[in-house]
Amino acid sequence: MIIAAAFRSSLTGNQSLLVSGFAQACRGLVACVLLIFSPPVFAAQVVDIAGLFTYRPDAALLAYGVAVPTDVALFRVAFNGQKAELVAMAAGPQQSSLMRLAALSGSQIAVLYPDIGEPYRSVFTKIIEGIEDKARVRVASYAVGNKLNAQELAGELKRQNVRAVIALGRNGLRAANALEGSNLSIVAGGVLAVPESEARGVAVHSLAPDPELMFARLKLLVPQARRIYVVCDPRQNAWLMQLARTAAKAQGLELQVREATDLKTAMQHYQSIFSSSDARHDTVWLPQDSTTVEESAVLPLVLQEAWNRNIAVFSSSLSHVKRGVLFSLYPDNMGLGRNLAQVALANADGASGLVPLKDVLVAVNLRTASHLGLNLGNKPQQNFDLVFPEP
Amino acid sequence: MHIKHTTLVTSLLFAGLATWAQADEPVLEEDLAQAYGDQTTITIATGSQQSLRRAPSVASVITAADIEAMGATDLDTVLKAVPGLHVSRSANSYSPLYVIRGVNSLLNPQTLMLQNGIPMTILFTGNRGNIWGKLPIENIARIEVIRGPGSALYGADAYSGVINIVTKTAAESEGTQVGVRLGSFSSQDAWVLHGGQVGPISVAAYLHAGKTDGSKEVIDSDAQTRNDAAFGTKVSRAPGTINVDYKAVDASLDLSYGKWRWRSGYKLRDDVGTGAGITSALDPTGKTQSRRMNSDLSWLDAQVLPNTGAGFSASYLYYRQTIPSPLILYPAGMRFPSGLFPDGMIGSPEFWERQIRFSGFLTYNGWVGHALRFGMGHDSVDLYRIRELKNFTFTASGLPVPAGPVKDYTNIAPYLLPQKRTVNYAYVQDEWTLAKDWALTAGVRHDRYNDFGSTTNPRLALVWDARYNLTAKLLYGRAFRAPSFGEFYSANNPTIRGNINLKPETVRTTEAAVAWQPRRDVHLNLSAYRYDARDLIRTSPNAVAGTGLTYNNIGQQTGRGLELEAAWDVARDLKLAFNYARQRTIDKLTNKDAGNAPHHLAYGSAEWRIDDGWLLSSQISRVAGRKRVAGDTRTPVADYTNVDVAITSKQGKGKWDLTLAIGNLFDADIREPSVSPGLIAKDLPQPGRNWMLQASYRM
Repeated sequence: MIIAAAFRSSLTGNQSLLVSGFAQACRGLVACVLLIFSPPVFAAQVVDIAGLFTYRPDAALLAYGVAVPTDVALFRVAFNGQKAELVAMAAGPQQSSLMRLAALSGSQIAVLYPDIGEPYRSVFTKIIEGIEDKARVRVASYAVGNKLNAQELAGELKRQNVRAVIALGRNGLRAANALEGSNLSIVAGGVLAVPESEARGVAVHSLAPDPELMFARLKLLVPQARRIYVVCDPRQNAWLMQLARTAAKAQGLELQVREATDLKTAMQHYQSIFSSSDARHDTVWLPQDSTTVEESAVLPLVLQEAWNRNIAVFSSSLSHVKRGVLFSLYPDNMGLGRNLAQVALANADGASGLVPLKDVLVAVNLRTASHLGLNLGNKPQQNFDLVFPEP
Repeated sequence: MHIKHTTLVTSLLFAGLATWAQADEPVLEEDLAQAYGDQTTITIATGSQQSLRRAPSVASVITAADIEAMGATDLDTVLKAVPGLHVSRSANSYSPLYVIRGVNSLLNPQTLMLQNGIPMTILFTGNRGNIWGKLPIENIARIEVIRGPGSALYGADAYSGVINIVTKTAAESEGTQVGVRLGSFSSQDAWVLHGGQVGPISVAAYLHAGKTDGSKEVIDSDAQTRNDAAFGTKVSRAPGTINVDYKAVDASLDLSYGKWRWRSGYKLRDDVGTGAGITSALDPTGKTQSRRMNSDLSWLDAQVLPNTGAGFSASYLYYRQTIPSPLILYPAGMRFPSGLFPDGMIGSPEFWERQIRFSGFLTYNGWVGHALRFGMGHDSVDLYRIRELKNFTFTASGLPVPAGPVKDYTNIAPYLLPQKRTVNYAYVQDEWTLAKDWALTAGVRHDRYNDFGSTTNPRLALVWDARYNLTAKLLYGRAFRAPSFGEFYSANNPTIRGNINLKPETVRTTEAAVAWQPRRDVHLNLSAYRYDARDLIRTSPNAVAGTGLTYNNIGQQTGRGLELEAAWDVARDLKLAFNYARQRTIDKLTNKDAGNAPHHLAYGSAEWRIDDGWLLSSQISRVAGRKRVAGDTRTPVADYTNVDVAITSKQGKGKWDLTLAIGNLFDADIREPSVSPGLIAKDLPQPGRNWMLQASYRM
């Protein structure tokens, strides 16, 4: 059986490789094709596990805690004629048809996450689980408290031979930013948006769901939707609205953005939106915005008007589904973790900027759907990760 | 294959660099709060699976997080929080009675208890078995309580309500947790809980062992005190303490692979004390044992075909009640007109049961405006062995007669002969969207029993989504309770003679309920109900005077009541909840209060997250208005107010959980009603102030 794996890799010092990618596998691990792209080098090798690259457990890897049962293969491959540090590990043909294949290199990932209580801790625990799952390298996790000695942290990371830092939450990001001049690649996650000053040189993966995914889900649930109203504070959401405009256009939707920098203006916008709304084609999007999406005044108004006028409302906040909006996308923390790991492994060069959340789960309110006359019967409930109202 | 990598988790709480100290956490919480909303929503999103949405009803769901916040360690403490549910004690062995909406009886077979949707019912008694001990909660993911009739879906015994205990899956008990607990009455417990993957199989495992000497409340006078007065003896063990000691082992294993799930459990209660005595005469030496083993294999595919879901389960239950140390029904030296019992009246009734159940269902939602559910099943339940040792027989009127030393009566005149029951059933339910915001759920289930025949039980629920934050429901249902084997087949005891002509008990219930969320942080529920219960099974004198009593369908009662619930998330760190239930139940034979069940139940709770990792919680419950049954001339059972407090702390990055709980903080004198007309004159005393300290570590 042939297993094909495609890798994009980048070389860093000490001939270590950070490799990310995916592999499709079938049962019966016999041989594997490795395609390694790393400009200017290109290499393709057939790795015959039974022959040329004999199944060879590595004592050093075992010391890192890598289990070597029969369905896990560790093998070294030569890279472009050099004696490389790349050790690929293929595992899990029994687990699923998707084979996990990753590289283990000399360097490792550090995760800086906030030292915080439940239930928030669980969110970060899941993200870290996702990172570990994807990274397949040693992941060092550091709970960061309010008081931290940056020098000591930098020293610790150096001792651990850390090359990439995944910073979670505001505390994590600030800790990472405090490590000036450490030549680490930083990826941030678990934050909404960050000031320019903090995002410099950092790829920030926001908790704001990607508008493209939001609108795609809207079209699926409310096929007749044509127009989306959104009231937002440009200081918080200008970057997201840019993406939203493109996404709406691509999906044939009209996006009406109303800007408000205070609650009163926001309320006026909502009132005018509802007074002139067309139940058949209009929808309202509630983004994550502390100015314009306020819980005690705005939300009751929006929910009541939407209910009375049969307007579909969707939100970027999960709890709004519980209150009565039609649907929401919320973070798939395991997926986010995997994604962050992948970016951290691949992004040694340090791409930066704000990226919306792509790893999402879906919550729906069936009561609201029924009120809007949406037939979700042929969209089975298991397509939704959370269903409200709870029985 | 899941490969575990070494994870280096280090905490860096290094001193220094105070430039960005303080105020960071609220900012961070704000980010997560924007994505998720309140803390409860985060818990839902990161935690356990949601409950299955089956049919509209008046229901409460208590999650593992709720239980943890209460600082509760057993089911009884948790269930006190359910509106309209009163946790009382049986005079027989002090086992718990979950009295819902005032439907009270000696053994409580009218409340159906399910474990993962499968009945825990024991054939002999019709309840969960009298040798119960307590049920620990570490392995419970959530508890769903339905008040009102549920026979249209759940079949027999979903009469006054249903309590479904859902155990943790591998994901819910992720990792390994070990815990120990010490408490009043020399209580000691230890457990380990594990959730993980072995290859493609998700594994959840749980093991608990514990023991307690039980509280030592004093009973002043018991049934033998009355006998002493009547027959001129002085042998009662009263005043003396109750005996609620036991040893416990609980284990479970839950394996799931794709759509398949195989769950197995074990529950041993050993050296269980006799409470206030099986016949309400104190018995410090008698010990009982129950052993329960269950296993079920299920398969579920919510989308087996377009618009069609399907599932089935096959389950097995083994249960045995044995008596390791004989029950002293009345103490040594007691005398009846029939003679003297120099060693006391001794009896050891034992029995063995096995139950096999198959069930399957189909759901279909391809017909616009309808959600259909069809189900059918077959139960084959068998009380296959009994054993009885005793030292007495009966006169024709039911008076015990001394019969010398203890002998094996299993093959001579046992209290019951082995019996089998088969049940076949089918049900259908449709959730029909009648009009915009109006849905009618109609369901009916037909059960065919080999012993008493057939019964058909419908359920109707009209639900109106009146506003975005207001839902109103009108519900009607009929339910039944199948006669237990004891009621059907009890033999050779003229005072509780079985009757094979018994019909099931029935109840018709009408309910109205409103749920309103006036503000983001306030939830209100109000429900009102009335019911008409018929063919209640009670003993009555035989036609020929002096030949004892037989079970008959002679009881009838009506009840009505209301339940009000309010929950208020005052602030991010403070939650309050309150509920109040009132009920009145009339026994139609006497036209008097049915007695023993409280007319008023009030419950309040507060959860205060003092600081990161510290949680202080308190529960206050008020139980009032417990009248006596007709003919019992004692003053009503005294009202009481009970206060429990708990403080919980998470330490070491959430790895350590420490809980200190104090039950009955103000040492209230709490009593549950004894058997009328007052075999134990001053009722059944409950534990005074008690404490519990628990530590657990998550690896």
